[in-house]
Amino acid sequence: MSHNQIGLRIDGRRPAELRKITSTTCVLSQADGSAYLEHGNTKVLAAVYGPREARHRALVLHDRAILNVELNVAPFSSGERRRRSKNDKRLLEMASFVKQTFEPVVIATLYPRSQIDIYLQVIQHDGGTLQACINATTLALIDAGIAMTDYVCACTAGWVEREAAIDLNYIEESSDTSEVTIAMLPKSSKITLAQMESRLHVDKLEEVFRLAGEGCKQMYEVMDKTIRDRAEDLARKMTV
Amino acid sequence: MATPAFSFTPSTFQKLHPAEFFRRFTTEGVRPDGRLLDAFRPTTVHHGVISTANGSAMVRIGGTTVVCGVKAEVAEPKLDAPDQGYLVPNVELSPMCSSKFRPGPPSEQAQAVSEAINRVLKESKVLDLKDLCIEEGKAVWVLYVDAVCVAYDGNIFDAALAAIMAALKNVRIRKPTYQEGTIKVSGGSTATDENSFRLNLARAPLSATFAIFDTTLTILADPNVTEETISDGQISITLDETGLLCGVTKIGAASCSQSVMKDCVQSAKKRTLQLRGIMNQQ
Repeated sequence: MSHNQIGLRIDGRRPAELRKITSTTCVLSQADGSAYLEHGNTKVLAAVYGPREARHRALVLHDRAILNVELNVAPFSSGERRRRSKNDKRLLEMASFVKQTFEPVVIATLYPRSQIDIYLQVIQHDGGTLQACINATTLALIDAGIAMTDYVCACTAGWVEREAAIDLNYIEESSDTSEVTIAMLPKSSKITLAQMESRLHVDKLEEVFRLAGEGCKQMYEVMDKTIRDRAEDLARKMTV
Repeated sequence: MATPAFSFTPSTFQKLHPAEFFRRFTTEGVRPDGRLLDAFRPTTVHHGVISTANGSAMVRIGGTTVVCGVKAEVAEPKLDAPDQGYLVPNVELSPMCSSKFRPGPPSEQAQAVSEAINRVLKESKVLDLKDLCIEEGKAVWVLYVDAVCVAYDGNIFDAALAAIMAALKNVRIRKPTYQEGTIKVSGGSTATDENSFRLNLARAPLSATFAIFDTTLTILADPNVTEETISDGQISITLDETGLLCGVTKIGAASCSQSVMKDCVQSAKKRTLQLRGIMNQQ
């Protein structure tokens, strides 16, 4: 019996099942905060520098910090090697999504006249880059000790083979599926980002949203555990 | 004895007079991070970390981490070498890896390291480029070797070269078929010895870098980022597996005697042997 007939997806997952997540914080020696996150075969590194002195005087805001997000995709990260320039519109758009997702969540007024730099590096791409970037950024910001009102957890969902499914991989993503990425604040269940750019019947939207929201909650459990484990580990080291 | 006019905490002293702070340690034969002058930092090598690349490796030398991926692509050969493929190494120092680097076009340092590695690979003939030929005058393989530095704590040259050599060793390319002007590269099922080939590396150059500190000629093996900024010059020695020299670079204002050079070569021999051992472990 093929996978579809018994209701499983191309990689053997159930519709509402996330891929295997591996996450760690404090992975880089130089950054103030950093995180490494794997969603299946999608691998992302996030580094946070700051709050530090703003690079350009003209951009300084006297009452709050400015966020700066840069996204870089390693040339070997996807099937086809493509040299993406730093000014690739697609990357700039993704970076601005991440920035706008975090602007309302980071309590920027605590760090006036400064700048927080978030650097993201996609090491391997297998679908769901935006969700991975957002989740990695949350972990890195927490690791850097930057005040936030809540976690931001992101998850994709889409309509795959007449069924709503979450956390699409590259094959599912590329076979003309409609995909929605949402980012959620798990405590208040508020959505800070919803992004879709393909056709989807309006009746199906609610189901896809509901599933993506559940994915975000699952994501929250994993991320919270990562942070708590790390904090406990640190606490243990300090008592010794 | 007069009491000093000022008293500082060690960290203030380090910020005000980094070189003098450092000198207090080196005169005792140690460094602030606890290493002896001739000690290299702990090094780890992981192979095949990226499944989308044809070959990949991750190398950590202390706080410096480099991820290298090799991608093989079919391209037309150059006119003057119709039966040779080519290698395109590139080292990326993004602003992520250190607060030293600014966003924008590749920094001077990144370009210099890329070029130095390109020369090592080319001049010591690591790979017979004729092996990369698919059909003479029509199609060859291009190997894009991209080393991305994700954390920078000095000595990028050693780390990048080690990552690149480990990734090249790890490369598997699908056997192509050339028929009537079209090339087919099979995909799908996992790469096996029957449907893919590995690179035949003639030699594996690895390097050891030393920083020259002070006019007293203190030689520091494997400098970290603070040591790099206060040092007056660097010596990089590249050796292959038989202990033959593949390159010697000495840059910076500090001049050094021949005996210092000789000591560095001896130390580099030991270090590259140890590094080779780490690389072959897995």
